[in-house]
Amino acid sequence: MDGTVGAASASAAAPPSPAGAGAPAGRLPPGLSVERTDERIMTLNVGPQHPGSGHMRLVIQVDGDYIVNCDPDPGYVHRGEEKMAEYRNYVLNIPHLERPVIHDSCNVLYPYCLGAEDILGVEVPERAKYVRVIASELNKCIYIQYWLAIYGIFLGHSTMFMWPAGDRELLIDLMEKLTGARVTHAYFVPGGVRNDLPANFEDACLRQVGYFEKRIKEYADIFYDNPILVSRTAGTGVLSRMDAVRFGTTGSVLRASGVDFDLRKREPYDAYGEMDFSTPVLKDGDSYARSRVPWLDMMESCRIVRDALAKMPKSGSVRTKLKPNPKGKLPHEEVYRRVESGRGSLGCHIVSEKKPEPYRVKMSVPSFRNLICMPNLLRGEKLGNMPAVYWSLNYWPVEADR
Amino acid sequence: MGTASGIIRALNSGVKHLAVKRFTLRYPEEKLKFVGDGYQFDPTVGVGIAGLKGRHMLFHDHCTGCQLCSIACEGVAEAIAMVKVPEGWKHNKKSIMPQIDYGKCVFCGLCVDACPFYALYMTNDYELSSFTKEGLIYTPAQLQVKPDVRQDSEIVIDERGATHG
Repeated sequence: MDGTVGAASASAAAPPSPAGAGAPAGRLPPGLSVERTDERIMTLNVGPQHPGSGHMRLVIQVDGDYIVNCDPDPGYVHRGEEKMAEYRNYVLNIPHLERPVIHDSCNVLYPYCLGAEDILGVEVPERAKYVRVIASELNKCIYIQYWLAIYGIFLGHSTMFMWPAGDRELLIDLMEKLTGARVTHAYFVPGGVRNDLPANFEDACLRQVGYFEKRIKEYADIFYDNPILVSRTAGTGVLSRMDAVRFGTTGSVLRASGVDFDLRKREPYDAYGEMDFSTPVLKDGDSYARSRVPWLDMMESCRIVRDALAKMPKSGSVRTKLKPNPKGKLPHEEVYRRVESGRGSLGCHIVSEKKPEPYRVKMSVPSFRNLICMPNLLRGEKLGNMPAVYWSLNYWPVEADR
Repeated sequence: MGTASGIIRALNSGVKHLAVKRFTLRYPEEKLKFVGDGYQFDPTVGVGIAGLKGRHMLFHDHCTGCQLCSIACEGVAEAIAMVKVPEGWKHNKKSIMPQIDYGKCVFCGLCVDACPFYALYMTNDYELSSFTKEGLIYTPAQLQVKPDVRQDSEIVIDERGATHG
């Protein structure tokens, strides 16, 4: 931030600008500062319009080809979701709270629904817990496939853009059958899910998830074992185990640095306690490990989906009816619930008053946590490695801004 | 594994896929088939019935003009407005029914969940584009029409890959 303003005004400040009539020569208006920089250092703005940065700006200072400093500047897609949540009741908050990550909309809603259930005192039916696990895992795969497609295209591997984008369609079709929408499903509600599984869903699910799993295994040859990808990503942006914990990273970034932390195992919510799965952990902490962990995650997700379909109660309700008018009956309390989303642990802090609307909804998002370590990873890297490091952080700009 | 053999394996993996069938759906000619006739809701048990959340369908003989759908939409998209209908119904004293602006609708289906009289459902019709903003506003008379959808393409998986059969 200061870097660009400083660089722009440093050149203009040498002859005092006649336009700044109010400010006397040598004094700048409040908020602006002049920053003297080394002749060798050049400041680059990557974004916010540049597609390589997502909806955010990276102020990068380079010395030749090497990055000496990086200042991520998110906030271009702030929508005020948290404030909007204070004016709507617990059910009507659903469609807008899933907007931050439309590809992972079930997981974004998950902590909110769990928290709202605690406040409203609703018990989720047993079958709904399994349906939620299925929807959440399918959605996680859809998100990771989308992320993988972007990661592929920014490393110049256009086949890796086409394949995940195409195979994602298998799961989107399942979610469309289940929830009625390709993205932004609005499927989870406090008290369960909106509708039961459609007829013949289990057969279609097993068939398409099986084929999907076969397909993602084929990514090994063309992408993950490809020496060109390995030479571009291995050893770049190394995040040590201590640093990963110190910066508070979550999800695939944390697990790629050798810390086995997965909320589905540590704090099992809904039916995850009964699922049989493992969490992939890699030790290297470089961009390659960070790009590989989500891929291994997808295979575990396929396992969970199959497991949940087998263990699910064959009949029963999927939604507990909410009381028609909770006005004046809600307790004054606060809850914090978190789930493991496609990017990492996603938390939601809800404070309720004696009103139908929540007093405060605060989302603690994994994208923002993972962004914090980025300046550290980029320092000393070549500029050409910036996309490989940046996208390996599993970062979704809209979620970080909310 | 050496660099050369790795690159050859990667290329080989791509070449093998020349034999895999095309997965792309040729959209205007082929249309994806959905389950059921669209998202519906059963107010007696309080659970929805799975289906695509597309254009709404309004049953004039059930709608009582209670405005619950409009109230639900106020917190979401403000797409539903209650308008006067010319014909009179015994169960609809005020003669008002929902009119939906698809320029604002987000297809969340919470209006369907709100309806206690089985009057508002969603259908499989998702092709709603229009050249004018007014063309996106569907009056109660337009919402009454059952859409004519021809959707028959499904995902077929065999040994040679997945296709939209």
